[in-house]
Amino acid sequence: MPIKVETGVKGRVDWPFLLAAAGLMAMGSIAMLSAAFPLPYFAQIEVRHLAAVAVGVGALVFGLGFNYQVFQDQAKVIYGLTSAILVAVLVVGSSHKGHRSWFDLSFFSFQPAELARIAMILVMAAFLDARARKIRDVSTVLLALGLAAPVMVLIIKQPDFSTTITFCPILLGMLFCAGADLSHLLALMGYGLVTGAMPLLFTYCQVRYPQPVPGSLPALILQTSRLGMATVVVLAAAAVLCLGAWRLSIWLRMAARAVYFVAVPLVLAAGMLSGVLINRQLKSYQRNRFVAYVAPQADIQGAAYHVHQSQIAIGSGGLLGKGLFSGTQSQLGFLPERHTDFIYAVVGEEMGFLGTTAILALYLLLIWRIVAIARVARDRYGYLVCCGLAAMFGFELVLNVGMCVGLLPVAGIPLPLISYGGSSLVITLWSLGIVANVYSRRYALL
Amino acid sequence: MIQSHQSLHQQLSILFNMILFAGLAIFVRLFQLQVYQNVEYSELARQNSTQMIYQSAPRGRVYDRNGVLVATNEGAFSLIYLPPKAKEKVDLKPLADALSKQLGQDPDNLLETLQEAVREQSALRLAENLPRQTYFRLKELKTIYPGIDLIEEARRYYPFGRFASHLLGYMGKMDPRSWKHLKTQGYRVDSRIGRLGIEGKFEKELRGRDGGIRMVVDAQGRLKRKLGSFKWETGSNLYLTIDAAVQKAADEGLRKTATGRGAAVALDPRSGAVLALSSAPDFDPNLLLSSDPEVVKSVVAGLPEFNHAISGVYPPGSAFKVIVSAAGLNENRINPEDTVFCPGYFELGKNIFLCWNHKGHKRVNWWTGLAQSCDVFFYRTGLKIGGSLIEKYARTFGLGQKTNIFLNGERSGHLFGPQTRQDAGRGWYDGDSVNLAIGQGELLVTPIQMAVMAAAIANRGSLWRPYYVEHIDLPEGRQEFGKPEKLGSVVLKDYVWKELQDGMALVVSSGTGVPAQIRGLDVRGKTGTAQNSGGDDHAWFVSYAERPGEQPAVAVAVLVENGGHGASVAAPIARSMIMAAYRLEDRGGKIVPSTSTFSAPLPASRGKTALGLPMRTL
Repeated sequence: MPIKVETGVKGRVDWPFLLAAAGLMAMGSIAMLSAAFPLPYFAQIEVRHLAAVAVGVGALVFGLGFNYQVFQDQAKVIYGLTSAILVAVLVVGSSHKGHRSWFDLSFFSFQPAELARIAMILVMAAFLDARARKIRDVSTVLLALGLAAPVMVLIIKQPDFSTTITFCPILLGMLFCAGADLSHLLALMGYGLVTGAMPLLFTYCQVRYPQPVPGSLPALILQTSRLGMATVVVLAAAAVLCLGAWRLSIWLRMAARAVYFVAVPLVLAAGMLSGVLINRQLKSYQRNRFVAYVAPQADIQGAAYHVHQSQIAIGSGGLLGKGLFSGTQSQLGFLPERHTDFIYAVVGEEMGFLGTTAILALYLLLIWRIVAIARVARDRYGYLVCCGLAAMFGFELVLNVGMCVGLLPVAGIPLPLISYGGSSLVITLWSLGIVANVYSRRYALL
Repeated sequence: MIQSHQSLHQQLSILFNMILFAGLAIFVRLFQLQVYQNVEYSELARQNSTQMIYQSAPRGRVYDRNGVLVATNEGAFSLIYLPPKAKEKVDLKPLADALSKQLGQDPDNLLETLQEAVREQSALRLAENLPRQTYFRLKELKTIYPGIDLIEEARRYYPFGRFASHLLGYMGKMDPRSWKHLKTQGYRVDSRIGRLGIEGKFEKELRGRDGGIRMVVDAQGRLKRKLGSFKWETGSNLYLTIDAAVQKAADEGLRKTATGRGAAVALDPRSGAVLALSSAPDFDPNLLLSSDPEVVKSVVAGLPEFNHAISGVYPPGSAFKVIVSAAGLNENRINPEDTVFCPGYFELGKNIFLCWNHKGHKRVNWWTGLAQSCDVFFYRTGLKIGGSLIEKYARTFGLGQKTNIFLNGERSGHLFGPQTRQDAGRGWYDGDSVNLAIGQGELLVTPIQMAVMAAAIANRGSLWRPYYVEHIDLPEGRQEFGKPEKLGSVVLKDYVWKELQDGMALVVSSGTGVPAQIRGLDVRGKTGTAQNSGGDDHAWFVSYAERPGEQPAVAVAVLVENGGHGASVAAPIARSMIMAAYRLEDRGGKIVPSTSTFSAPLPASRGKTALGLPMRTL
């Protein structure tokens, strides 16, 4: 098969990809600096951000020039180093707002969880590449989970719940793109969804029915959340129902496999149990996020304040926005976390529908390019790394923007390339450098 | 080993399509928020970031008939609190403590007010009418605590202080219950509202439209910059028929009495215009606007809102003998020259009625009987005339009916006679006629009714409805109020009017009313010393005066509750009121024209005229 080979810099660099990244970074920098302008430590933010941009561009160039296949060869080393750093941050890291997740170096601070996430993608890609033959085995899924679990546990120990959450879609996305059995993934996803839905359901019942009638459904649900007899009864009832359904399907001579009737209730039960457990572990601020989501109008001054103000900011921006440094919501301090997690609301207020759709379009362009690069990757490893990063960017975009526009509950997840955060920016740019490297090496010979 | 991944591209496509689909959902949501609901959210953002600060408008000024300012405005500082809008719970305690030190208010109350402001999310006045030294100290606090600010606004000011307080009224605080339905009329929960008297009755006209400044506030409630403002509109000026000099004489006269309780009304007999309307005890309406809550509290607690001049009902006593005389003379039941012997008492059946002079007046005719207020003469005359006629004449003189002066709380008193008795289903006895003849029994009148009666005698029969507003300068033009309105007419024969007036002149020249004499003026009057079950006698003096050869220009009724003798207590007050009306002064026993022009005292500390001050926050 004749291969069309483009040579020189032109063929080595995916310009639309880099331009999308540069555009996002430019818009992000402008919005972020505008949002941070009224803050007393604005000068410090400005300097740090410009320094992070400089270092980040360096990291991108480095990633672009560094053969990504080295990461596959050194996967074990990367995994070991990542674990070591995460342990170290728990021991010697500095605390900020109750999270021990920073290395406070004298001139900048560094958040290793961000690095760990990229490292996880690099390691997971190597693992899945190695398991190519047994990719459809359930053992692959379980081993992949086992591989990710220690890192996730270390991060959740900081505690950084939000970053840990982002591991799940990356993992699922990579497994899916690596060709894992769909039923396994669906079970995994079902488990995750049930786990996540449980606290939402409990919170909803609590908010809607502060004093439930004994014996009613809300009362039963709330009792279940207390992990007592009621939980056992509900689980037993679910088991009986499933068994009955199985017998029914046999009686009806349906071609259903018995394993589904065991797996489905198992997944549901496990999800429920872990959901109840997580519900009991929720901190009050996390509970408030659920409250704000299930009942946005209930407590506008309290739980739902962030989301409400964010929507006001975005909605009041209109078509063209109020202009930089002119957004009342951001400049007067009504919008909290405005230069970090809620930066998209600042874009919405000051740059309007034009700005928000521009960022959305640039992001989709970026992800599309990553997907396209994955397709032309010269090896399966490169393909998998790109898939992981596409899943990561896609998930963060949806979660962060979804939160800002009020479609999803609040999760403290920044919008990469837009939100303020030095280590996040540098590492994000480095990861883009890796993608660029995959592109530039697409024709390389062995 | 290099592995191909062509076979996996379908999965990647599915993943990318999922992301694209989510992106589409976000796009739709953005369109909904930013394009479709933009107006709604813009309004919410505007509400968030702007705060309206209202400035009370100056009320209309009130002038007396000579252009003397009796109620005006002055610039004052108010301390307002703008609650933060951010989610962070602010500890209001330190602010409440700091403010309580400066303002001398209870910290717990202040804390409650602050919390109320946070709950309602609106600016609230914490203190009004602050003195200048407090102003500078509070200005320092402003830099420490976000949300507190000082604004300048108009405050009601009564230049004479304790003056015509029942007629003028005062500025009260809004009570939260009435605010509920006043909200729509532009009142705010911390608005002041006119109460009692003119301030209450002409609230709509006097009240201007409050000014406002729209400020940009940040999430902590700090004022950032001004967006715009609208100027207040001053209320309409009111021009009264009141003569401040007469009013002052009445106020001071009543205040000096032993009981300090009573009423005095002066009318112009030619029109019914009120020259003075005074009720004691009175109050200083300025104190109700004090910045010191303790002062306000104590004044409010003991506020004498009862207007004795229109709401107080008393037996008229001997002052009623004028009406008995009118009835007798007009119905030919009295021949003024016929004499009666007064031994000091009068026997009717088994009952004995005493004359106030227990020694007796000996032989009296109508002239001397009225001048000396001989009770026995009127007992006999009253029996001769009969209760029905007396009642009829009392009615034609307006007793038992409201004078319909434009004030709240007027009472009609109580007519006493056979007709009234019959209406109540009871009988009438001769003893009742005897009592009625000297204005006792169940007869009850208000001081303003007596003033209207005196004016009717002065003008020979016109029963005027008393009015006190000459005109109002409304924005759409001057509204005249000073159109005299008749309540009714008393028709007596001409010679009866003359005899009646001459009889009252005799009272003052040589009878019980001597203390009301003024050289150079013809004063006519009738004293009254009304017995009442409640304690000491009420002192009455009902009179009018004229310059010889001119029409009577002032009619006065004075009542001093439990004051004792009308002659010694009430008559001097009437005298000083009449002198003030004619601009006369008693200088060392000599009556001379008043040299000083009467004008409002300007408070030394308050500078020039009120409110030339620019509208701005400070």
